[in-house]
Amino acid sequence: MEEGFLKEQQIMENDLNSDTSHKSSVDFLMNWFRKRSIFVLAYGTGCGAIEMPPTFTSRYDAERLGIRGAATPRQADVIIVSGYCSYKTLRRIIRTYEQMANPKYVLALGSCTVNGGMYWDSYNTIKKLEDYMPVDMYVNGCMPRPESILEGFIELQKEIAEGKASSWQKYEENYEFYRKNQEAVLGKTVAPAYDADWYLYDGGL
Amino acid sequence: MIVFDLLGMFLSAYMVGFLYYGLYRNITARFQRRIGPTVLQSFYDSIKFFSKEESISHGWMFYLGPVIMATGAVMTLFFIPFFYKSESFSGLSQYGNLFVVLYLMMLGPLGNAMGVGVTGNPFAAMGITRGLTRLFAMELPFYIAVIALMSINHSADIATIAANQPTMNAIEYPLLFIAAMFSFVAMMGQSPFDVVGAPVEVYSGPAAEFSGKFLALLMSQSSIMSFAKLVLMVNLFIGGAEGFLELLGKTFVLFLFVIAFGAMYGRFKTPQSVDFLVKVPTAIAVVGLVLATLGGQ
Amino acid sequence: MRILTLIFPLLTALAVLMISTSQSVWQMDLAVFGFENITVGLKATALSNFFAVLVAFSLFAVSLVSGKQTLSKSFYFLLYLLTWSLLLIVYSSDYLLFFVGWEVMSISTYLLLSYTLSREALVKYVVFAMASAMSLLAAIMILYTGAHSFMYVDAHQAYLALSDTLAVIFVVLMFFAFFVKIGVIGFHYWLVDAYTESHDFFTPYLSAVVSKMAVYALIILLLTVIDISTFSNSWISYTLAIFGLLSSLIATFKAVNENSMKRVLAYSSIAQLGYIVTVLSFADGVSGALYHSLIHTLVKLLLFINVAGIIYVTSKSKFSELGGLIYRMPQSFVMLLIGIIVLAGMPPLGGFASKYLIYNTLLENGNLLILAAMMFASAAAFLYIYKLIYGIYLGQPTSKKLESVKEVPFFFLIPQYIISVILVVLGTVPGILTPYLNTILTELKLQALPFTSVAVLNTETGSYNGLVVISAFALIFIVILFVLLSLKSKVREAKDRFDIAYCGEVPNEATHLHYGFSMGKELKRVGFIGTILKNSSRVFYDFISKQLFAFATVFRKIYSGNLSVNFNIAALFVLALLWWSLK
Repeated sequence: MEEGFLKEQQIMENDLNSDTSHKSSVDFLMNWFRKRSIFVLAYGTGCGAIEMPPTFTSRYDAERLGIRGAATPRQADVIIVSGYCSYKTLRRIIRTYEQMANPKYVLALGSCTVNGGMYWDSYNTIKKLEDYMPVDMYVNGCMPRPESILEGFIELQKEIAEGKASSWQKYEENYEFYRKNQEAVLGKTVAPAYDADWYLYDGGL
Repeated sequence: MIVFDLLGMFLSAYMVGFLYYGLYRNITARFQRRIGPTVLQSFYDSIKFFSKEESISHGWMFYLGPVIMATGAVMTLFFIPFFYKSESFSGLSQYGNLFVVLYLMMLGPLGNAMGVGVTGNPFAAMGITRGLTRLFAMELPFYIAVIALMSINHSADIATIAANQPTMNAIEYPLLFIAAMFSFVAMMGQSPFDVVGAPVEVYSGPAAEFSGKFLALLMSQSSIMSFAKLVLMVNLFIGGAEGFLELLGKTFVLFLFVIAFGAMYGRFKTPQSVDFLVKVPTAIAVVGLVLATLGGQ
Repeated sequence: MRILTLIFPLLTALAVLMISTSQSVWQMDLAVFGFENITVGLKATALSNFFAVLVAFSLFAVSLVSGKQTLSKSFYFLLYLLTWSLLLIVYSSDYLLFFVGWEVMSISTYLLLSYTLSREALVKYVVFAMASAMSLLAAIMILYTGAHSFMYVDAHQAYLALSDTLAVIFVVLMFFAFFVKIGVIGFHYWLVDAYTESHDFFTPYLSAVVSKMAVYALIILLLTVIDISTFSNSWISYTLAIFGLLSSLIATFKAVNENSMKRVLAYSSIAQLGYIVTVLSFADGVSGALYHSLIHTLVKLLLFINVAGIIYVTSKSKFSELGGLIYRMPQSFVMLLIGIIVLAGMPPLGGFASKYLIYNTLLENGNLLILAAMMFASAAAFLYIYKLIYGIYLGQPTSKKLESVKEVPFFFLIPQYIISVILVVLGTVPGILTPYLNTILTELKLQALPFTSVAVLNTETGSYNGLVVISAFALIFIVILFVLLSLKSKVREAKDRFDIAYCGEVPNEATHLHYGFSMGKELKRVGFIGTILKNSSRVFYDFISKQLFAFATVFRKIYSGNLSVNFNIAALFVLALLWWSLK
């Protein structure tokens, strides 16, 4: 797989060209309600999670936009991958993402999800989240401030309203592709193992 | 016709309940010096959940859990008269009385416990245990206060108790009212007695496995049940109501008090809340009971 | 074997039917045998028929269940002997035949229990049963001195003729005898072990009917002999109310802490019977007591037969070894669900009617704090009720073997279906029992309950319409279920039992997922519940037995083993007797 900015540009252009928006009025109404009420899974996966508490509480108040936290993946619409993903965390993220109910959206914070960011040469993290999970919205930065996160949410709401945020469908349609990539780094059982078999599978320490 | 009556009660409870929950988030936000969502936010939430593409289920019993809980909530609503003087909006209250209502209030959580238990999630079972433990503790002061009222009025009929109030039972028997308010805060699921559905502490307790339309049904029944409990308290303690505006006003004042109480306090642990509820409010209720029955008879 | 075991129950049912419709009376004067002034008799009163029907039905239910198993013939013989003795107890119209029936009941229960009970539990049962029988005999003898007759019709005159101290002693002895058999807290030391360790097919019978005999006897004592409808608020009412209240509260909390299925149900029996004892402190509580006896008999039969089925299929009797059986045994689950809804006293089904009568009696008589405590105990009962159904059917299976069990054999399910139908009918038309209760109440010279229609249960303080409640429940349930099923969103089934929201982790076979057996253990941290759970009557009875042992050790030394000393003691005793008789 290619790495770096070229691939990223290609993906963005592909997304802009594909027109997966629905045009019927029922769907319009449904999307309107979906954008007005967003439940974010309370799961801080990386160091970007430090910016989430101010965003959702009194200082920057994301609740104005209808966004609130949810405890379990069953109730959540959005999972925020906030920063780097080590292999250990990636197992849990994928398991949690698969337990969420459709329609679900992924918001990727920070540059680590785009191309590895600060940990571009680490043995233990993944470099490109898009290979393992479909992403709806990237919010760049290291790490993005709450204002950026809010702007990311507003953009996500716009995409939901237009029906373009369809990463869950992409996941179901390209499941083999994602699964192959997941197994390449996590082993045959994507489920977490409790002994450290993660470094046995990806090439070792 | 009784069907229109019941439909009217159901729709008004649904609308007003959701509105109150939107107001709840708004008012709590103002307590916390921020703005909060719009007042219609609860409607948006529930419609979004109803329109989820998929919901996850764990078998046929999982369907019955939220359905029984909603049935319990709606039945509780139907057995409480809105306006004690008139025939309209009195639902099925002539066929039952306060004992029936008190037990119907507990039917929903028990049915939901079945649906929650079948998922096999230990966090959900933990939440249910906390809920049942809190249930018997919080009902004790309420039972004592309600029994005192029943004994004073020589009747277990809600309309009779509401009609016999000279001014308001809250002013006539303040100790009973205070004890019942402690229980009422717990019944509405507010701090300091809200450990049951604590979102992150116990993985949101009983609601851990509900998604999509099941969660929407749970949210709907929660708002209907809250409105039913508010109307019950208004009938028992705050003089009943004779018109829809008066009912809305009184329930809103009560609701505001409960929200303010909840916004101020932190959360008790389960043994702490049981310990507190069987000591202080129960003592107040017993003293109120003795004074009320001695004074009246 | 199956058909043969049903013959005697059917014959019993037929006999009960014939006796109850024929109003027969039989009397015999024992002067023929040389005993002056003693008449014995059998009489089929409305109260007797009520309990006799319960006995016949329980025998039928238990025989249906046990008919397929290879139980020994002596077991069945003892069971029939026990039934005969219970019928003798309810049909006798004098205390002598009553005592004969009581003794045969104790002995045959002992023999039936001896099949499976451990030695310690058996000794506990025997000591308490014999103590109860002896105190009953002493009380009957005291009553005899009042009017020189054993018959119930003369018993009130006899009671009034007793001196004050003798009357108090009489009542105390009677209460002791009946409280032991009912299982009131303080006298329940034998009950929990006996119910837990007895044979799985005998426990339903034991819990359903044998305890009700003491309830019947208590009603006869309170209303025929002492006649508390003429004077209330005496120490008798307070004793009954306090003991009943303590039973309900303490047994409820003790039930939450248990790990074995049958122990939970044993404590639940004590708690439910506490309701009956409390409401009997008032004369007009008889209606509530009788209704609750009926409901409790039915529901304990249902629950114990269900549990017997579980033990039969899985050979496990603890919550920590069960779990997740709902989709493998769906019919048993639904039966247990109906059972626990009735046990909790929830409105759509019949359990609410009996609780409603009890609460109204307490409310009318102004016993408000005890009413509040009773409602509190009823709310606290939800904990062990939920633990019962969660520990067995919900949650996750705790061993591989549980994932391959099949439904119980059909003969376990037949009595459960019959009882469920009866309970649903009682919930729909709770007033169906009122005419019969009124017959009993008029016979006992009490005020009858108001009766408007079969669907409404009327009391002085209010009424409720069972038909409206259950039809509203059914309609609303169907409407909401229909709405839920017709919504657009697809339903994705969870992949397997491990697909739960478990904080991103994936549990496997080795993870502890069944929370059933430790539910309720955290209640120890609450003040008063911790005190209840820490103490038990074992301490008290150990203390008594130690004192008795010490006393006996000292007293034994009188007989020193030396023949001349023993002879001197015997001679002194004879001289003392002669001196006392010549005085």
